[in-house]
Amino acid sequence: MKNKIIAILLCLTQITFAQNVDFTGYVRNYSGMLAGNGSNDFVILQNTFNLNIEKNMSGSSFKVNPIIYHNDSDSISFNLREAYLDLYFDSFDIRVGKQQIVWGKADGVFITDILSPKDLYEFLLPEFDEIRIGVTGAKLNYYMGGNTLELVWLPVFTPTNLPNSTSIWSPSMSFAMTPTFDYSKQDVKPSLENSELFLKYSALTEAIDFEIMGGYMWDDDPTVFSSIVTNSSGRNLFITPEHKRISLIGGSFSTTLGPFVFRGEGAYYFGKYFNTSDLTVNNGTVEKDYIHYMLGTDFNLLDINFSLQFIQKAVMDYEETIQSNVMFKDQYNNMMTFLARYSILNETLEFELFSYYDFEYDDALIRPRVLYDYSDTINLQIGANIFTGTEGQFGQYNNNDMLYGKIKYSF
Amino acid sequence: MKTLKISLILLAFFSLLNNSVFSQQLTGLKIIENVYNRAVGDDMTADLTMTLTNSSNENRVREIKQFSKDFGDLEKKIMFFVSPADVKNTSFMSWSYDEAGKDDDQWIYLPALKKTKRISSDSKSDYFMGSDFTYDDLGDRQPDQDVHKLLREEKLNGEDCYVVESIPKDKDYMYSKTITWIIKDKWIGLKKEFYDEDEELLKILKVNKYEDINGFWIITNTEMKNEQKDHKTIMILKNVKINTGINDDKFTERIMTRGI
Repeated sequence: MKNKIIAILLCLTQITFAQNVDFTGYVRNYSGMLAGNGSNDFVILQNTFNLNIEKNMSGSSFKVNPIIYHNDSDSISFNLREAYLDLYFDSFDIRVGKQQIVWGKADGVFITDILSPKDLYEFLLPEFDEIRIGVTGAKLNYYMGGNTLELVWLPVFTPTNLPNSTSIWSPSMSFAMTPTFDYSKQDVKPSLENSELFLKYSALTEAIDFEIMGGYMWDDDPTVFSSIVTNSSGRNLFITPEHKRISLIGGSFSTTLGPFVFRGEGAYYFGKYFNTSDLTVNNGTVEKDYIHYMLGTDFNLLDINFSLQFIQKAVMDYEETIQSNVMFKDQYNNMMTFLARYSILNETLEFELFSYYDFEYDDALIRPRVLYDYSDTINLQIGANIFTGTEGQFGQYNNNDMLYGKIKYSF
Repeated sequence: MKTLKISLILLAFFSLLNNSVFSQQLTGLKIIENVYNRAVGDDMTADLTMTLTNSSNENRVREIKQFSKDFGDLEKKIMFFVSPADVKNTSFMSWSYDEAGKDDDQWIYLPALKKTKRISSDSKSDYFMGSDFTYDDLGDRQPDQDVHKLLREEKLNGEDCYVVESIPKDKDYMYSKTITWIIKDKWIGLKKEFYDEDEELLKILKVNKYEDINGFWIITNTEMKNEQKDHKTIMILKNVKINTGINDDKFTERIMTRGI
């Protein structure tokens, strides 16, 4: 199968070369080693080939973006990150196919940016463009000067991709007794009734850029329904993951004031399922609305570019029976991000520090890295991922502190 | 992507160094004002190549396709990055206002992130794409931001020139002064010296070539050398087209994300 895929890719390449199709992409070597917790295992030994095949014609264009990952176990995974066709008209454009759709003004936080689900095979560590999974559907953009109305229809539901249970990035889950999992309800079949719909109105003006959006979708993360069944073997805990419908309205803005860029983004989610400690009611779940928003600023000080974001999630009509998880500890959940970036040597050498900090769990992910442009095509990178705390979405990976290096050849 | 915090007004840069005026008793201020106010076409399209050369004689090349249009009291520009590969399809748009004190509006589209980000235009002392040009070097530095003095008149490269010293009113500005050689009959800035905060020579700008395109003097080959770092940037403008009637819709997010 792997050989067939590569053969098809090579044939495609030969055909498209003959038709002035544009090829760009990169080849990357990525190695990561656990550090500081008694283990120096190489947990990442990965080679990546990413190819963008694009052609722009009058009134139309297409893009196909295959990506091949080769891992240390000599396994190869092939994926089409995007494969779509664009049709351009006077006042509107249509994009059909598998595509990544990015909304909102927040960086590294997903509030209204929920159309393309996340690939968490390596938690939040990949570059953000690699975290998003392409979704299959159609997008219509209608333009009125600097204003845009965007309608997205996704007939195929794509959930969050979670790491497998043996991965060091498998999220921690605790149960009162050893559970039995029932995955029979987890799939959402592609059908008209199961479609997702999103609408956005956006404007780019002198004073401010803003977006107003709404969506009727499936929760990308499955709700975990629990039930206790008593039979001859005793009491058994059954866990049934199931994706539930959720809808939201939201918006975002970005504006400048002197040297500062101010950004904000927020959404009101209707009907999110939370797990409770009372398994006798609705299989241990309760449906609540919640608010998720971000306020942030970007600025330059002493030639260093800074970016700060404060993020809050608040559960409406909160009940004490709601169980905490890594994303929701209690009614209010506060987090911040910090980014500092400094470059020298005519911007060939760059130092960066990016961090998430969760106020509720007092845990953090700290990511220093150094990037060097060895040439116009070769970029070298070394960095570290440092997890602090003992619980929460970052603290749960406290044993996964890591040093890594990347070599990337862009073409 | 770090190269792309941009406040570029490339085409205005060329107009800054090009001008024609009819006057007799010229002060330093008047000369610089004439350079600044010189009319250029209503719109312009061009391909820009920047070659960066370090002290080891290693070259890096950046290629850009750019469009600009004058909307009266507003000038809009859009640029598409062609190379190097890791920034290909990145685009930058700026809206510059004649209104005194009004900052430019600027946006950058990052294709890998599929995001159009509004950026601040405040950092005019930042270097553009790792070159030896700051955004201010490339842009419309208004004449009233400096005190100008006509030092002398002399020949440079066979051209009769005014030599004007400009000292910034803002004492914290990155240059303590600049000295510009301006061709008398064409009003082109042929050479410019930049002095750092310690009044040491920092950079020298030289015009290697200028052309008459559709009746406008256009500088098409410029070299900026940082004397202290022994690093230089050569900018070459090709396929310059003026007054082709660029559509107003060219300067929108739609075109930023779609590309050239």
